Amino acid sequence: MSKKESELKHLEKEMNVCIRCAYCFEECPVIKEMQWDTDGARGKLILSYGLLTGDLQPSKYIADKLFCCTFCRDCLERCPSKVSILEIITAARAHLINEGYASDTHKHVIHNINTTGNIYGDTEVISPEQDGKTPLFVGCQYLSRPNKTKKYLKILEKLGIEPLVKKEICCGFPMKVLGFEKELKIHEEKFQKAFPYKEAITFCPTCTVFLKEGHGINAKHVLQVIAEKTPAAQLGMKVTYHDPCDFSRGLKIIDEPRNILKKFGVEVVEMKQSKGQSRCCGGGGGILMSDQNLSGTIAKKRIQQAIETGVETLITSCPTCEQVLKKAATEIGESNGKTIAVRSIEDIIWEGVKNL
Amino acid sequence: MKIDTNRLKNIVGDANFIDDVADRYVYASDASVHHHMPACIVRPSTTKEVQQILRYANQNKIPVVPRGAGSGMSGHTVPLDGGIVLDMKQMNRILDIRPEDVLCRVEPGVINDELNCILKPYSFFFPPTPSSGMICTIGGMIGTNASGNRSVKYGATRDAIMGMKVVLANGDLVTLGSNTRVDSSGYQLARLMVGSEGTLGVVVEATLQISPLPKYRAMGIANFSILEDAGRMISQTIAAGIVPSMLELMDKVAITAVNNAQNLGLPDVAAIVIFECNGMIKEAVDYEMNRIKEICEKNHGTGVSVSDNLKEMTRIYEGRQKLFPSLSRYGEGLVSTALADDMAVPMSKIADTVKKIHEIAKRNHVVMSAYGHCGAGLIHTKILMDTSKKSQWDDAKKAVHEVYEYVYSIGGTTSGEHGIAISKAPSWKQEKKDSLEMMKAIKKALDPNNILNPHKLMDAPDDWLSATSLRYQVFP
Repeated sequence: MSKKESELKHLEKEMNVCIRCAYCFEECPVIKEMQWDTDGARGKLILSYGLLTGDLQPSKYIADKLFCCTFCRDCLERCPSKVSILEIITAARAHLINEGYASDTHKHVIHNINTTGNIYGDTEVISPEQDGKTPLFVGCQYLSRPNKTKKYLKILEKLGIEPLVKKEICCGFPMKVLGFEKELKIHEEKFQKAFPYKEAITFCPTCTVFLKEGHGINAKHVLQVIAEKTPAAQLGMKVTYHDPCDFSRGLKIIDEPRNILKKFGVEVVEMKQSKGQSRCCGGGGGILMSDQNLSGTIAKKRIQQAIETGVETLITSCPTCEQVLKKAATEIGESNGKTIAVRSIEDIIWEGVKNL
Repeated sequence: MKIDTNRLKNIVGDANFIDDVADRYVYASDASVHHHMPACIVRPSTTKEVQQILRYANQNKIPVVPRGAGSGMSGHTVPLDGGIVLDMKQMNRILDIRPEDVLCRVEPGVINDELNCILKPYSFFFPPTPSSGMICTIGGMIGTNASGNRSVKYGATRDAIMGMKVVLANGDLVTLGSNTRVDSSGYQLARLMVGSEGTLGVVVEATLQISPLPKYRAMGIANFSILEDAGRMISQTIAAGIVPSMLELMDKVAITAVNNAQNLGLPDVAAIVIFECNGMIKEAVDYEMNRIKEICEKNHGTGVSVSDNLKEMTRIYEGRQKLFPSLSRYGEGLVSTALADDMAVPMSKIADTVKKIHEIAKRNHVVMSAYGHCGAGLIHTKILMDTSKKSQWDDAKKAVHEVYEYVYSIGGTTSGEHGIAISKAPSWKQEKKDSLEMMKAIKKALDPNNILNPHKLMDAPDDWLSATSLRYQVFP
């Protein structure tokens, strides 16, 4: 029995709730590509159980397997026993980190957060501080994309919403998802000082989930706010919409982006898999730090589904999805000639409200 | 046993061979209670590769265990003697769809529901409907003679198999069965392969009989405050000549579990019966549904409701399909284990059996559910217990023994659709004691070196509890 089992010990009963039925295989993007049982959610839970019991000793091989997950939450939807799969995988990752299996990339990201407050280690990142009523949490992804942030802020201004923006630091989700529990504990104190609010508007789907689940903040995604105030417009576009996993499965935000687009006269042609059944873009869960090739392959499958709709534009509402899907669309275009444009929803919303 | 890994890699390619201890640990288990590691896992893509692997294994007397999704509940794919696990999921091509001949040809790694999605535009489907249809493979279904909640009307996998290609233990490829709906041409060897649990050969292609999709479908639910009334209602329905496409029983334990896990909102009663009729003529479907309603009411069924609303039917159907894994959410600290899980009994004995199961559970300090495709005489049970306690396993062992003693006493059989493998073998060997030698002779004739899924069925250990390590941590 391993002495360092604390990260998983409290989840032993939960791991036994899993009866290993394999229903989680159905749409798991990783096992769909890899085709080995080890790569699915059931495989990861069995590895976690092996680490807990000491049947398995930590190894780089096991770490590679456990870090190869997009956290798309599809397994959570499929699991009939409602096993806390992501919690178990996260705890197993923490176990491996404590056993010395953090990769240099993981360490680098955590170092960035500790030293600069953002995942990119960008010392020039500036929060667009402003006075207002409801606290706004911008998040690392948007802070590093100032034009996108400005656009959302201008949209909110047009709709008469005045958010309060202060200097902020990372929400800490990368520490959680990568298993850096000790660092997260220290970071949480810093975060609470920097963002001492009970409610917030957010830009990033993943930050929204973590503000709610990790910090107990009543976070409302900016699209939920905009959906309540969307004016009518006629943009006359036909697009398909990619549901970010943290949106459709994590926050159950499915109708809001579609309602906004509909109000702007944008017709949404659904992909073969959409809404709660949406297929992952391949960019979540830290997989971009573990296996970029696999991430790219998953993203290309999603782009193929988008191309099959026959429309020329894919809209999404997550900066990671946008980045990963744009790269996949470009690569498909370079090899096939036919591809699809990937745009973010704030671009469309801005077109709808800019003349207000 | 020394395995020449380079030889295997040369056959399937480096990317289709794994033997890290982590992979072996994962492939050591399925949905059963058992755990035993293979030496390696190989993933063939062609019949030729399967033949080469088996030739090598046979020459060197290395065990080979074919595996699909690994969702078996009795330890079918747990490699009791180690050796090679053949992961067949990559052989997943649909080779031919011939609606005019009412058949299709597929490779064994094709997933049941994916096949049905592809058959749908042709207005056909593959009728065996296991609850695990979204992930289980045709090869696995053949191995266990799987069925599901439509078996009451359409039968089991064996009833939908016309022929197959099988690689034998020595690597030879044989074609069994035919492409015809009737076949009186000697021994029915294709049928022998169905339910043989990978012990007689490796299926590399199957010819499946498909059925036209019904145009109309309606589903009903009835509540019963007395379990025996529900059992009587089921046997009277079948005896009346009605052919429902589904006739399912759920007892109180099952109702609680599915409500806890799936939030289905089913009523808190002693039993629920879910029934469905389908067909090409609406009036015929309505007639049969009304007949079943009458039988429900005659047997004190309450709240009898019938719906042809697709959304509502899907909600109830999916809840039922996910019942087995949902049982893990019945109560805090109780783990659902697949033991004595799918006996079949004569129709008139369903209610008695369900009642007996609860008595046995109570006497042995475990919780047991009873549910299943009772219209086909099949009852599922699961033993819910604290798997960390050695004493609970002893309790479970006694309960399993008592359940089967009762089942045999009323003319029932060990397994209706999940197969025997390891967990059920000790009891099953008692049930089939006068035909075990016949089965052993068949096995020896086809696999003289005993390499194909060895020590399962008649060759399985006499004590399932000590046959392998358990997948759970158990403390004295």
